[in-house]
Amino acid sequence: MQKKGKMITDISVMIAGMAGDGVLFTGNVLAKIMKRQGWEISTYRDFPSNIRGEPTNYTIRASLEKIYGRADDIDVFIAFDCDSIFKHSERMAERGILLCDGEDFVWPSPSKSKARTYHKFPLRKLAIGNFGKEIFKNMIALGALCYILDLNFYVLERIISEAFLKRKGKEVVRKNIQAIHLGCDQAKEIVAPEGRYSLKRREDYDRLFLSGDEAIAFGALAAGCRFFAAYPICPASEIWQWLAVYLPQFNGLVVQTEDELAALNMVLGASYTGARAMTSTSGPGGSLMMEGFGLAGMAEIPIVIVNVQRAGPSTGMPTKTEQSDLNQWVYGSHGDFPRIVLSPGTVEECFEFIIRAFNLAEKYQCPVILLTEQDYGQGLRSAKKFDLSKVEIERGKLLNQEELIKIKDFKRYEFTPEGVSPRALPGMKNGLHMVESNEHDERGYRDENPENRIRMMQKRMKKLKSASKDLIAPKIWGKRDAEIGIIGFGSTFGPIQEAIVQLEKKGIRAKYLQMRTLWPFPSKKVEEFIAKSKKTFIVENNFSGQLSLLLKSQVRTPFDARNILNYSSQAFRPSEISTQIQRAL
Amino acid sequence: MRKNKDYHLTEPTWCKGCGIYSIFAALKKAAVALNQDPEQFVIVTGIGCHGRLNNYFRSYGFHALHGRALPVASGVKLSNPSLSVLGISGDGDAYSIGLGHFIHSLRRNINITYLVVDNRIYALTQGQTSPTSEPGFVSVSTPYGSKELSLNGPKLALASGGSFIARGFSGNPTQLSTLIEKGMKHRGFALIEVLSPCVTHNKVNTYQWFKKNTYNLDNDSDYNARDKMKAWKKLSKEKKIPLGLIYVEKRQTYEDVVFQKEAEPIVFNDLRVDVPRLEKIMEKFK
Ligand SMILES: Cc1ncc(C[n+]2csc(CCOP(=O)(O)OP(=O)(O)O)c2C)c(N)n1
Ligand code: SF4
Repeated sequence: MQKKGKMITDISVMIAGMAGDGVLFTGNVLAKIMKRQGWEISTYRDFPSNIRGEPTNYTIRASLEKIYGRADDIDVFIAFDCDSIFKHSERMAERGILLCDGEDFVWPSPSKSKARTYHKFPLRKLAIGNFGKEIFKNMIALGALCYILDLNFYVLERIISEAFLKRKGKEVVRKNIQAIHLGCDQAKEIVAPEGRYSLKRREDYDRLFLSGDEAIAFGALAAGCRFFAAYPICPASEIWQWLAVYLPQFNGLVVQTEDELAALNMVLGASYTGARAMTSTSGPGGSLMMEGFGLAGMAEIPIVIVNVQRAGPSTGMPTKTEQSDLNQWVYGSHGDFPRIVLSPGTVEECFEFIIRAFNLAEKYQCPVILLTEQDYGQGLRSAKKFDLSKVEIERGKLLNQEELIKIKDFKRYEFTPEGVSPRALPGMKNGLHMVESNEHDERGYRDENPENRIRMMQKRMKKLKSASKDLIAPKIWGKRDAEIGIIGFGSTFGPIQEAIVQLEKKGIRAKYLQMRTLWPFPSKKVEEFIAKSKKTFIVENNFSGQLSLLLKSQVRTPFDARNILNYSSQAFRPSEISTQIQRAL
Repeated sequence: MRKNKDYHLTEPTWCKGCGIYSIFAALKKAAVALNQDPEQFVIVTGIGCHGRLNNYFRSYGFHALHGRALPVASGVKLSNPSLSVLGISGDGDAYSIGLGHFIHSLRRNINITYLVVDNRIYALTQGQTSPTSEPGFVSVSTPYGSKELSLNGPKLALASGGSFIARGFSGNPTQLSTLIEKGMKHRGFALIEVLSPCVTHNKVNTYQWFKKNTYNLDNDSDYNARDKMKAWKKLSKEKKIPLGLIYVEKRQTYEDVVFQKEAEPIVFNDLRVDVPRLEKIMEKFK
């Protein structure tokens, strides 16, 4: 029997190279094998927005416990180019393994990296020499990684067959498997069996493996979304591409529009007609949607908008992560109107919240925004199977024909105590009304009378108050009596949780308030949390501290808070949070 | 049998003599001829003087944003193809701020009827030059005369794959209502541009001016509206503006292509969660 490597419970593998090197393919296959060994997985994509010729890296983290983000260190690093090594080697874990494809690779200065072991690994040369094509270097790399990580070769071979057999035939599969074994043999020569890593395999494991974008798309389908219109944009297109396959199978429709203005306005038309309708976009697309966003508020049309945030402003960094569109959706568009902004922190919550989003939109007849991020939007995560039996479809005050016919004097925008009015759909008898982008009366017809204006404004805004008990409340994690309070939203979920563990090891007790609804702002819960914390830290991926600013405007009691900000276009690592907190104390 | 008053909600309040009055009348007349329930009509308008039309017409109405009548109308029609959907825009609405939607709607050929009320001016905003104003046109926004070529909507429509292209004139309400009726019966996207004087702001393109500068294709027995080249030639002549049915063709609609035959409209879908079917799909995330 072959010797086992070091037994560990959490490992990070980085694959890096230039765009076009096959980093994404290699990483995805590796992630899949690791997932099938029974581990929790979290992947992180750091890709350029170019197709070729710029540095790119992909991190796959596997753990016996549930993880939600990147680790601090890289344990195994395989690079298709030398530059990547210089960039990321500082992150290498002690005794990590580093393989680099580069003849002329010379370690810059030993102090720069903790890595003791690094090896030249001529991937390109091996590929061309043995198979005549550079592309085989991905398989050779996978073979080497499989050996170093003590992974099951059969799983890898099965994944390769699944990927290539139908499309490319037996011969291609055979050659690829040969390349895998070559990679393994070459790795054996440089890393001794006991120098490898081993993770315990888990058999009792049944997990999904998907991105936040996919979870949203699947959730939307389950929630009864049957109309989707959008314009292509990174990093939101995966939502659309998934729905484009499945919606037609459910008698639904996906429309590729000429721009985001059309996308949102089509969705408005569809929802007004009675379809559950949604669009998805990112930064620049969101900016173009602002006018229609206001129309949804004014005309009280239930729509769902998913904004997968990327690094802005302007075209910004299309494939990188950030949390800088909070202001856009909480404050955006001209005039005052009600909107609900939800922020999932995990792939599981993406599924859960999109279903809530559709229900909230129809119950309160207003736009609902699901604010997500490139980080877990495109990053693949292992996730517990979604409980479909819990999916409920609530259509609020939408009338059916029988109910409508009984109403004596139907008013689409009737003043009601909770601000929500009964809704009829075009085609229905006894429901004729007007939908106005102008200010209007209870029947929807234009009305510029100041008294009507005041009542209509109050009616619309009142819906937020009515919705408040129905919203997704902030969640407290960690020990409630801990003196340090950390507040965050979205993808900081994982790093904050791990930072708390790191702090605990240093004797600092911290708790975490996960903001899951950003608007209407849950002031009371936040006030309580802050009151019970000696010191508060607000963690965000943006420059200006958008959550912090919002919080300060919504919390009545003065408090002492410090911002921990990251606007590098990269997701937080746990230690970035824990060391800043430590330093500040 | 439906009557005119079934579609008449209130008395309009456009300026006295405004061309949109006869569009309103022609629309009601066409609706009577089509004998359809007002509940089955959805009229989506843009922002401009034309946008008041569905305030007076008795039907389901949607007064959308400036330039966005077409995407809203498309969303309505695609969600429930059993409705009769009509979009109405001004020349600024359709040919300036909403031009992208205009071209792409023609390309898609969704079964809706689109009226473009062309008064060659921005009326609601008090008389600025519009994309259909002629070079040299003097207005508050171009006091030294417009420096741009004017835009020919029907010609652009022909180049963009329009399957029904017509032009009417507020001064000829009989022809106009016939064109609207034909357009509504047409399977596919029907564009009807309506030359419609703005008596308040446009002192150049008056009823007299339009009468002098137009001619009627419907009176030309030699003209064949199914001949694309002929239509192109007519639309390319600079001197006089052709009225009537300019071009028509049979073409698959967007609905024909994207929906299965006999499929229920999206809005009538049963949304109850089909757990076993979704479970199966969920298995693919592994
Ligand atoms: C985004 C936006 N920009 C500008 C306006 C102001 N606006 C209202 S109507 C209009 C032009 C109307 O001209 P047209 O579409 O030709 O309609 P008409 O009034 O002539 O019928 C403009 C620019 C607006 N409502 N929305
Ligand atoms: S301003 Fe011109 S277009 Fe508007 S109602 Fe008056 S005449 Fe008609």
